[in-house]
Amino acid sequence: MVSLVTGIIGIATAIIIVALIRKDHLRVRYGLWWFVLAGIFAFLGLFPTLIDLFAGYLGIAYPPILALIIAIAIVVIKILLMDIEHSRNMINIQRLTQRIALLESDLREMQGESNDIKPNSNQSGLGDVRRQ
Amino acid sequence: MDNTKNNVRLTQPHCVVIIPAHNEERSITNVINEIRELTIFPVVVVDDASTDDTILMARKAGAIVVPLAVQLGAWGATQTGLRYAYKNAYSCAITMDADGQHLSEYLSVLLTPIVTKEAEVSIGTCTSRASVLRKIAWSLIKQVSGLRLEDLTSGFRAYDHRAIKRLATRHATLLEYQDVGVLAMLHASGMRIKEVEVSMVLRQHGISRIFYSWTSVIYYMAYTLLLSFSKRGMTYKQPR
Repeated sequence: MVSLVTGIIGIATAIIIVALIRKDHLRVRYGLWWFVLAGIFAFLGLFPTLIDLFAGYLGIAYPPILALIIAIAIVVIKILLMDIEHSRNMINIQRLTQRIALLESDLREMQGESNDIKPNSNQSGLGDVRRQ
Repeated sequence: MDNTKNNVRLTQPHCVVIIPAHNEERSITNVINEIRELTIFPVVVVDDASTDDTILMARKAGAIVVPLAVQLGAWGATQTGLRYAYKNAYSCAITMDADGQHLSEYLSVLLTPIVTKEAEVSIGTCTSRASVLRKIAWSLIKQVSGLRLEDLTSGFRAYDHRAIKRLATRHATLLEYQDVGVLAMLHASGMRIKEVEVSMVLRQHGISRIFYSWTSVIYYMAYTLLLSFSKRGMTYKQPR
């Protein structure tokens, strides 16, 4: 029964991932990871005896624990990878913020102290940056 | 280069040529010069955080340089160029590679479907340049995505203003490659895509950006197949 639930979860996850990618809500790169995970779940759901087999090789008395351990290990790895990527993004954001500030300062200097320029206005004109 | 046959430079339509470039100091000058010889179109080189003298060489050759602060990849740089085109109200944008594979002499051929309003997007195709392996890959991708195009990875394209506007939006951001994802999106938006036959020069130096190692090939295929499958038969419910 557990295996059926696992299998259904796997298939449902795969469908959800495809839907999210279709709507441009999820980056394909991440979708791949989840898709592979869903595939593993569905696979194990269809062939539950595989877990018993692996548990036997590893000398684990209670096979379902192995499935749980594997699942947790995958989730932990995923979280760590996310933190690593997040760190990289934070670095990029900080450097971009600095660069924009320097550019705005240059721009203001080049334009001179014109009456049209309000203090603290967003100069870029592209309008997609929020003030922190 | 023999210019005597065509002394009149291309002026129509109101076009900009976008060249995304990452460390292409050796070939960028020639590419820009050829374009300026044959057309009056402004050349915008989007520098993808190069660590060599690409920006310097591009400026010297008379191109407008848009310097990215962070490396975004080929599509990220291309989209930057398309946003430039949109912001400056160009009616047409052409994308070309910085390594000299795409030949300026085919620009008028490339622009024909746009000028005759036969299509919103024109692709310069050169299927003879593909290896057997690449052709098999394309065939598989075509099956999964449902796209009926021959040369899926050609970056030699012309986009009209509607295609430019569509590709400048958030929906097209974070695509990792400029081929299937972009084409699927255009197709789903109801844009007509026409392919024209051109010749291309085989890559002189450097290795292919996508197929440089087995892991990158596997990743590319997995990425493209998942994306193609997810976008199959899709239409965007957007006002034109």
